[in-house]
Amino acid sequence: MAQRILEVNNLEYSFDTYAGQVQAVRRVTFHVNAGETLAIVGKSGCGKTVSVQAILKLLPEPPGRMVGGSIRYLGEEISQYNPKKMSRLRGKEMSIIFQDPMTSLNPTMRIGKQIIEGIRKHERISRREGRARAVEMLGKVGIPSPERNMNRYPHQFSGGMRQRVMIAMALACKPRILFADEPTTALDVTTQAQILELMHELKQELNASVVIITHDLSVVARVSQRIAVMYAGKIVETGDVRDIFYNPRHPYTWGLLQSVPHREGDRRQELTAIPGTPPDLFHPPAGCGFAFRCRYCMGACTQAEPPQTDLGNGHLVSCWLLDERAPKTETPQLAQRKGVREHG
Amino acid sequence: MGKYIVRRLVISVLTLWLLATASFFLLRVLPGNPFQTEKLLTVEMQQKMIHYYGLDQPMLTQYITYMGNLLHGDMGYSMKFTNRTVNSIITSGFPVSASLGLRSLAVALPIGLFLGILSARKRGKALDYLAVLISVIGVSIPSFIMGTFLQYIFAVQLKILPIAQWKGEAYAVLPTAALALALLASLTRVMRASMLEVTTQDYVKTARAKGLGEGRVVFFHQIRNALVPIVTMLGPMVASVLMGTFVIEKIFAIPGLGQHFVNSITGLDYTVTLGLTIFYGAFLVAANFLVDIAYGLVDPRIRIAK
Amino acid sequence: MRNETIQLPEAAFIPVGLSLSGAENISRPSITFWADVRRRLLKNKVAMLGLWLILLMTLLAVLAPIVSPFSYSYQDLAIINQGPSAAHWFGTDSLGRDIWVRVWVGARVSLAVGIFGSVIPSLIGIIIGGVSGYFGGKIDMLIMRLIDIVMCIPGMIYVILIMLYVGSGPVAIVLAFALTGWMGTARSVRGLVLQLKEREFVLASRTLGASHLRLIFDHLVPNTLGIVVVSMTMGVPSAIFQEAYLSFIGLGIAPPIPSWGQLANAGVAVFRVFPSQLFIPAILISLTMLSFNLFGDGLRDALDPRLRM
Repeated sequence: MAQRILEVNNLEYSFDTYAGQVQAVRRVTFHVNAGETLAIVGKSGCGKTVSVQAILKLLPEPPGRMVGGSIRYLGEEISQYNPKKMSRLRGKEMSIIFQDPMTSLNPTMRIGKQIIEGIRKHERISRREGRARAVEMLGKVGIPSPERNMNRYPHQFSGGMRQRVMIAMALACKPRILFADEPTTALDVTTQAQILELMHELKQELNASVVIITHDLSVVARVSQRIAVMYAGKIVETGDVRDIFYNPRHPYTWGLLQSVPHREGDRRQELTAIPGTPPDLFHPPAGCGFAFRCRYCMGACTQAEPPQTDLGNGHLVSCWLLDERAPKTETPQLAQRKGVREHG
Repeated sequence: MGKYIVRRLVISVLTLWLLATASFFLLRVLPGNPFQTEKLLTVEMQQKMIHYYGLDQPMLTQYITYMGNLLHGDMGYSMKFTNRTVNSIITSGFPVSASLGLRSLAVALPIGLFLGILSARKRGKALDYLAVLISVIGVSIPSFIMGTFLQYIFAVQLKILPIAQWKGEAYAVLPTAALALALLASLTRVMRASMLEVTTQDYVKTARAKGLGEGRVVFFHQIRNALVPIVTMLGPMVASVLMGTFVIEKIFAIPGLGQHFVNSITGLDYTVTLGLTIFYGAFLVAANFLVDIAYGLVDPRIRIAK
Repeated sequence: MRNETIQLPEAAFIPVGLSLSGAENISRPSITFWADVRRRLLKNKVAMLGLWLILLMTLLAVLAPIVSPFSYSYQDLAIINQGPSAAHWFGTDSLGRDIWVRVWVGARVSLAVGIFGSVIPSLIGIIIGGVSGYFGGKIDMLIMRLIDIVMCIPGMIYVILIMLYVGSGPVAIVLAFALTGWMGTARSVRGLVLQLKEREFVLASRTLGASHLRLIFDHLVPNTLGIVVVSMTMGVPSAIFQEAYLSFIGLGIAPPIPSWGQLANAGVAVFRVFPSQLFIPAILISLTMLSFNLFGDGLRDALDPRLRM
């Protein structure tokens, strides 16, 4: 029986700007089970980063503001936690690594110290123990000669190495959830694979959960058990990785899957892109956010937001096409069935 | 770091040499001779003085002689106070000026940095506006004018502080304040801007994400990195304090080196002007060199190559 | 969910196909960079205040001496050291001269020295820095090394030496500034040009075959213009300061031509008894420097692309 350790319900997060209020996250609901990897997928600006950083309260407020919803960790409501309580959660229960390893580390502090300061904040250990733990973590993430390298500064390492240091820092206190915000986007392809593999191994070892944010579906296929697809500040489809890849039901998900260029296949086939541009979140549309770009759009789609349909096995879709009155639509020919990792 | 230091050293020496040469030629080329204003000297005596100071030699010979003497630390005699060496003028005047300068720095640095940090943290609130206002005004009022304002308010009107001279602690208050205010103003501005810049950086988010307390985040991650651009400011700051002492000493009748320098300019006392120019140059070059080293210490990206 | 309460008719489920019309609605009108800059600048009340003060000073500098019945050099020893009165708005100085007129003639000198003393070195610096950065190579290195060496010493010291040699007077001062003040601008412009050279749009333009001149005028200039204008504006209070400073150490503009610095220096001698003779020029100097600083700050903020809405 899957145990839910994080439950986000109807999260609403907005930014107050000169030009008005930007509703970046509009009633988002998802959960994270113990020991699993959840992938949140969507293009830039869809609200995935904001959702996650809002959970950890890492967004500057003002101009950010949590307008509504609830966030429960291990059954307890954490959305109203004061900074002191949050600081006890961060690093210890939930950690996050960011996209750009070049700017995510303090340039004037040795990397060993950056790891140790996190550990010593949450655990009462001596300096020597702290150093030993840092060396151990650096070794685990694959930094060579950790005793020597822990005294080095970030600029002396490559991008891939720095991302490993970030992982070491994030996992040093053995958190239950690791959030990874586009962890491989800034890296080259070979390093990407290495980092993902590393994260997978460490996750198994610590029996932690991982929430990986990405716009890259190939990344998703390799590592996750469940997927949440986000568009314009809302989650449009959630489900098991096999359900999403083999039986997707939302037109946006179809669009995403179709637009991935595949290695084996007809080279002469055109790259399918999703036409149009995303909606303006200053004045979000009354109906479905994807309506204007959807070739299956119906009258209902622009008038009202679609309800959520439960297709079983945790497969949830928000689309009017699933209403019994809608015409039957065939899931289009989609490529890239391969690559979905069989997880234990 | 070694290569960096050597480079800065070479540049420093070159600067000094260039300054000495430029000053020498500029001053020597001036028309007339310094003795013609002395009504007590007859023409023959003027010629004797000219000969004694070697002013009738060809320019290049004069230059080489001067440089040679310079390397021995000999800067010759004052032309006005003919029994005093330039060196003795320096040793009597420099400690006073240095005291004034150091006091100003000691006041301006901590206050300026603190205000800048505070102002950035409380951005948009009343304190921020006040700090920005003070710093803009402080930067816009020249230190010597501020000095006269302070003199007028505290010495002439309120009569709680002495108006001039350098005879005790109370005498140091107004001149130090005048010099420090301008420094403080620009420090506040730069520190505030630097802190605001740093606060948006990703690594500050990382620090918070680790669960570190706000104090630690602010001190080790924000302030530590915000200080880096400030260190580059230290060189020009020392220079401006130094230049400030010239006029402040004049206004407050302080017997420092600045007074001698200014007087030597109006009194056409060339050896003193030249000697003090070179001395100031050497001092500034040394100060800049130290600041460069400090910069290397503060920013590991400078001191350690990849 | 809220939608539960809306009852949708059968007709609402007829497919309407792809309609991109709604998505193309751009809710925020787009405006050009320079229009945005102007808008933000005009909204900045503090910067506008600075600008108005500058304009006011300039106006007075031009008109006041023309309108006034007194000349700046006319002495009337019968009315020396008087305070402000109906006939003499700022009073008279120790030689019986009308201070109001002297202040505004002095304004002409100080403002002219300030503006030319900032613009001319800036222009020299832009040309040298731009050329050096653009063409690079050995010449670039040489110029930069030279600047490094010379700039270890504050420019004022060189100015003093030059003034000793050249003599006093407004032209001499501007000349001294021009000779020494270009280096800072040259360094920053060169840095900027180096950065821009590597940016993609320059590369793209070159790929399309643009000539050097076209690159400079169409790409480099617009991107450096903002910074350059700000630097020139902020250079004015610096030049005014230096002029005042020079006057205080006896190297400024020689009498009888007044300048604010000179008037202030003269005022120091008598300020215990006649404070207004010092404070009037002193306040004007400070006010002018403040105005340029405020306006320059506003200009810099308006040009910052990160604050763009």
